[in-house]
Amino acid sequence: MSRPTTLFEKVWNRHFVTGNDASSLLYIDRHLVHEVTSPQAFDGLRLAGRKVRRPELTFATPDHNVPTENQFDIREPMSRRQVETLRKNCQEFGITLYDVGSGRQGIVHVIGPELGITLPGTTIVCGDSHTSTHGAFGALAFGIGTSEVEHVLATQTLWQGPRPKSFGIEVVGKLAPGLEAKDIILAIIRAIGTGGGTGCVLEYYGPAISALSMEGRMTVCNMSIEAGARAGLIAPDEITFDYLTQVDRPFAPKGQALEAALADWRTLKTDTPDAFDQHIRIDASTLVPQVTWGTSPDMTVDITGHVPRLDEIPAAQRGDAERALHYMGLEPGTPINKIPVDIVFIGSCTNGRIEDLRTAAHVLKGRKVASGVRVLVVPGSEQVKAQAHAEGLDQIFTAAGAEWREAGCSMCLAMNPDKLTPGQRSASTSNRNFEGRQGPGGRTHLVSPAMAAAAAVAGTFTDVRNLLAH
Amino acid sequence: MEAFTTHRGHVALLDWTDVNTDLIIPARYLKRIERTGYGPLLFADKRYVAGGAPEVDTPEQQGAYEATFPLNNPHFKGASILVVGKNFGCGSSREHAVWAVSQAGYRVLIAPGKHEGFADIFEQNSFNNGLLPIELPEADWRAIAGAVAAHPTLEATVNLEASTITVHQPEGKSTSYSFEIPSEQRKRLLAGLDAIAETLLIADSISRHEQSAPAWVTPAAS
Repeated sequence: MSRPTTLFEKVWNRHFVTGNDASSLLYIDRHLVHEVTSPQAFDGLRLAGRKVRRPELTFATPDHNVPTENQFDIREPMSRRQVETLRKNCQEFGITLYDVGSGRQGIVHVIGPELGITLPGTTIVCGDSHTSTHGAFGALAFGIGTSEVEHVLATQTLWQGPRPKSFGIEVVGKLAPGLEAKDIILAIIRAIGTGGGTGCVLEYYGPAISALSMEGRMTVCNMSIEAGARAGLIAPDEITFDYLTQVDRPFAPKGQALEAALADWRTLKTDTPDAFDQHIRIDASTLVPQVTWGTSPDMTVDITGHVPRLDEIPAAQRGDAERALHYMGLEPGTPINKIPVDIVFIGSCTNGRIEDLRTAAHVLKGRKVASGVRVLVVPGSEQVKAQAHAEGLDQIFTAAGAEWREAGCSMCLAMNPDKLTPGQRSASTSNRNFEGRQGPGGRTHLVSPAMAAAAAVAGTFTDVRNLLAH
Repeated sequence: MEAFTTHRGHVALLDWTDVNTDLIIPARYLKRIERTGYGPLLFADKRYVAGGAPEVDTPEQQGAYEATFPLNNPHFKGASILVVGKNFGCGSSREHAVWAVSQAGYRVLIAPGKHEGFADIFEQNSFNNGLLPIELPEADWRAIAGAVAAHPTLEATVNLEASTITVHQPEGKSTSYSFEIPSEQRKRLLAGLDAIAETLLIADSISRHEQSAPAWVTPAAS
């Protein structure tokens, strides 16, 4: 019998064009493009007189700069210029663009899956580190720099160094009510650290992963990069196939092509966990809701816990922890549920999908946002927005006192009008709590959509399980 | 891409761990569509006093430097080799972070720990811009970081062909350290190769791969 292989190796091997142990040229099946990391790549093509090799494999949308109050009204000249540059480049190079108002615009990692662009067993890249999101379908998906964007546009391939190692993350047990995929991935990052996945591709598996919806799996894979991993993926199963076939996904295969695809996709799995280079096990049944306290995604505690005291932090990390505490304006030992919030942000490529909005709406229904707290609910795409309307979720949000916005990256990163002012503190469903990430001087705490909604109601971080019990 | 063979320069030190790309260059500066102008934006929210960071469209108009930021040590002025802490460049894929480091005058980064020194995408972006990211064994890294802390005017020579860093101590003696760079990356840096031009030479292999792909991989018509 041949050596057992991992899902990651299988996808890697079928995209190997040429190379050796030190360097492989991989074929890229899908290239997603947004306005921020592409202008210099298109300039490079123009300078060299090169074309896009496979424009039909390339899909673009504006997301980072799009204002979520009125998508069409980009007042900031530099933002407007960047979005207009994307439009011009897509037209010149023959690339499909889902612009604002098209009905298909949205955060690039939300629209790829919902349009059926993202498929199992494919390679997907984008000039954006959260491309790991698409690994939820059993695709090998990772973020690249702008020079690499240019390389993929020109050649539909990408040079990679030695094949990354595989790291199996087994999640056993069952999540308690009130806990979500976000709590799983925050707990994983807390366990392995922000450099724990460097040089690796993570594969998530086990009963707690199989039990997740595609939206939940995307949340988990999305934050693989926050553990330093090159990518994260999950073997496709019936939940994946239903997602791709039970709803109209325009670019997904149909008819005979679908039958062939399904036969192929069912073979996409790791032969045995022994095939992983590394492995850890996490028990989902012991988890409680997670909240980050610091300025790195592994600075995370339980909602029932407190801001760490310095003597609880290993000596080597104390300097970083002190800087983080100072930036966050937190006293060591403060119970997490005594920390007040100013802004609640529900959205982003991590948690801006329909299931995330349903979860937040479930908590907010019949309740009111605490006075003095501003709540932004931002759908991840125009399609998510339409679906939320069809389900009446927007009514629940506005009745509670939240702002219901238009699709875009919004407050995940300070590139559009939605941002924190210095000293403001957020409960955010996004992916990074770095200094200044949501605006210079802003203080970010990462949480699940349910926990964000609970903080909106309480005005402080609070254990959503207590709200759901009543 | 500019070739990298040998470089001698002053060495600066920023020994924080997990320095992320938002810190290296905040997202608001990513609205630029040019490939230049990023040097003054490096560490903008740390390097300048409050309110002193440049606006995105006028990077050349800067406020005063924040004295407490380590790289504002006057002895580090003009340094072209930067010693950094573990997991440097984590976070976003923005190549602007590498552009900022390069355009601020650095040609070499030195971090501790094999496979731990740099975040993967940042490391790849560095190679693609002729910025040499060196991961040293921790003991060697500590020796160099310690030497820079003690003598902030220290110079070093980085020789990619020989894969050595030679630290020139002020009293005249020097110490050398070996490093490893993946063979392909080393070859490309030494020759200053244009990766796209190289790949286009083997376009036939790419076409063969495309012809062998199953039909379902091509996106269905929208």
